[in-house]
Amino acid sequence: MGDLANISMKGLVVFSGFFTAGASFIEALGLFFLFRKDKVRGWYAFIPGVCEYHTAIIAEREEDGRTFCLLVVCRYLALTLSNLFAEGSVMRKFWTLVYAALVFAVILFGICIFLGLCRVFERKRGWVFMWLLFPSVTALIWGLSPKFRPNHRIPDMDYEKAAAISGAAVEAIQHGLTINLTDRTVTDAMKKKVLLKDIHMSIPTGHMVLLLGGSGAGKTTFLNAVTGYEKANAEIILNGRDLYNNYESMKYDLGFVPQQDLMRLSDTVYRTVTNAAAIRLPKNMKRADRKKRIDDVLEKFGLNSVKNSQVGKLSGGQRKRLSIATELISDPTLFILDEPDSGLDGIVARNLFKSLRSIADEGKIVIVITHTPDRVSDLFDDVIVLAKDAARTGRLGFYGPIKDAYSFFGKESMEDILLSVNQKDEGGEGRADEFVEKYSGLLNKKAV
Amino acid sequence: MDDAKVKKLKYRGRFGQVFIYLGKFFRLFILQSDWKVIPMSAIIAAMVSMAIGSGLFVSMEGTFQASFAITCVCIWNGFFNSIQSICRERPIIKREHRAGMHITSYITAQLIYQMMLCAAQAFITIFVCGQMGVKYPSAGVITSSFLTEYFITLFLITYAADILALMVSAIVHTPMTAMTVMPFLLIVQLVFAGFFELPHMLGDVSDLMISRWGVQGLCVLADYNDLPATVVWNKLVHSGSAIQYGGISLQDALVEAEKQGMRDSILEKLGEANRRDDFAATIQNLADCWAHLILFIVVFAVVTVVFLEFIDHDRR
Repeated sequence: MGDLANISMKGLVVFSGFFTAGASFIEALGLFFLFRKDKVRGWYAFIPGVCEYHTAIIAEREEDGRTFCLLVVCRYLALTLSNLFAEGSVMRKFWTLVYAALVFAVILFGICIFLGLCRVFERKRGWVFMWLLFPSVTALIWGLSPKFRPNHRIPDMDYEKAAAISGAAVEAIQHGLTINLTDRTVTDAMKKKVLLKDIHMSIPTGHMVLLLGGSGAGKTTFLNAVTGYEKANAEIILNGRDLYNNYESMKYDLGFVPQQDLMRLSDTVYRTVTNAAAIRLPKNMKRADRKKRIDDVLEKFGLNSVKNSQVGKLSGGQRKRLSIATELISDPTLFILDEPDSGLDGIVARNLFKSLRSIADEGKIVIVITHTPDRVSDLFDDVIVLAKDAARTGRLGFYGPIKDAYSFFGKESMEDILLSVNQKDEGGEGRADEFVEKYSGLLNKKAV
Repeated sequence: MDDAKVKKLKYRGRFGQVFIYLGKFFRLFILQSDWKVIPMSAIIAAMVSMAIGSGLFVSMEGTFQASFAITCVCIWNGFFNSIQSICRERPIIKREHRAGMHITSYITAQLIYQMMLCAAQAFITIFVCGQMGVKYPSAGVITSSFLTEYFITLFLITYAADILALMVSAIVHTPMTAMTVMPFLLIVQLVFAGFFELPHMLGDVSDLMISRWGVQGLCVLADYNDLPATVVWNKLVHSGSAIQYGGISLQDALVEAEKQGMRDSILEKLGEANRRDDFAATIQNLADCWAHLILFIVVFAVVTVVFLEFIDHDRR
């Protein structure tokens, strides 16, 4: 009798093993077809971890997907650890508890991802229960049935349609900024992404440059590469010196004003500027000179009357001017501003840009990102147009004087230029590759 | 600027920057209402000493409970001082780091500033407990001044907890995450303080806890092993009438023993059974406790610097 029970128990174990493996295979098969509907490589469905991550991407829950994968791995780890200890031991109980907590967390994150799938496939939320209780059948239905189609597709990466590389490196100028950026890549979740590629230009000192580009075109990435904050495969020469090789000594010659006013709101205006001066100005500078520099900057940006106020009590415009003042205190050669006019009304914004114009006129290079370029375009010398090509990589669509830009794109306003290079799914004309090629041709002609 | 000119320029180094940030932190202490942690520590000390102060330095059980409670107060104070210090201004630190600020200078300034806060809180805790009727012994274990050693111990517990919270603040990215993590840290510290009976394997984990060394330090200073154990006596006196032996109730026997002046010797005998080697009032035990707390402080501070050095990799 005992033997019979033993045999049937073994049979049950073998059967459950086969059943689990079969169910997992069917689920992976269902996901294989589901992935293909969204142009994701189908065989990813057969790799544990990668499969969950890509399911999350399709569900537009990439962040949750990463956590989900991590939790799944930890869950297996906790299960293994608990099995290492003897039955009934404290450690076994402890790791079983951890395992149970992780299972709970996996279910929660799974629900988030399945909800995302329901939204993307425009199905009722009730399907979440089906995914949780019968994942293999559900995956098969969703994968095979033509009725289940996503309302979007992961952006097409058409590498063949993307504009060719010009490779037209520019010669470094002695007074100004020379950028020869081959590419800027990142590796995210085992995927290599090219964020920027093939950007070459020389900006002379005294120029105020508008940086134009749609969302995701790589404007901030470009600026971070230019300033050396996030190094690219590039050569950045500022006034004859290689910025990447001399970053430690040259970083004081750069000013970067971020979009947000990143200052301590409880500190006073005067102390904020004084502390910035203490760090950014040479320590052998005479005390009187330092004080004069602080007073001059406060005066230039109209902050003298509020110098004893707390930063948090300033108006939006004043705060922005203070943010600029803290960067300008070291009198940098290259001055970069990321949307300095965000949140400011037209008149205040224009006055701010006039101040920037006067800074450029002092022999500096000022590069500005703004989303309302037309109201201030007359104050700029040049424009850089960045555009996403067919491979979703940031490319140089144009660099040159403002007037030339209008004729190059055949448009009458900066916003129209932006629309022409924006992708069609963003409401643009989707002509980025055309202009990138055209501009490359211009550069190559000049080089010849 | 040409090469030679740029190379000649010297900027404020790590040491000089410490003073800039120290000044800023003390300024913000007033302007940002960070001073609130000082009266808060006084209120918590008053509440705790009201609840458990009567048994402190009087009996073994009272001292053990009070030491645990005071350790918890110190850890609470330390956590609250710094749990948001870094994460709330993370984008600002990133901006300043890119502009030339050294992370080591920033953290050193934080360490000095937090040290002052913790010292003030340790002093206030001792003062408030004294005012609430706690009678401190006069002699310490190492020196002749009990209060000096008690202050050092409370300060080290508070400071170690403070730097642990500072480390968490450097690891997490938002104040909300920091405040979510904090209760878990607190619970772990409480569970592994040595106050609760734990399975042997988990008991070893308590060696990694600030609370465990805090309780030990305070019990060593209170001369725990030489205190009487009163709980058993009091329980028997209050409920011993039900226990009869040879026609006499246990309660009557204890009352009689008290009349004959045997109470103290019985309590001492009961206390002997409760003695613990790690609570003996020896220099070795106290030094052990201080050394562990200092080691925690150093390790947490180093980890804080290491994590914050990667701040430039923060995503937008």
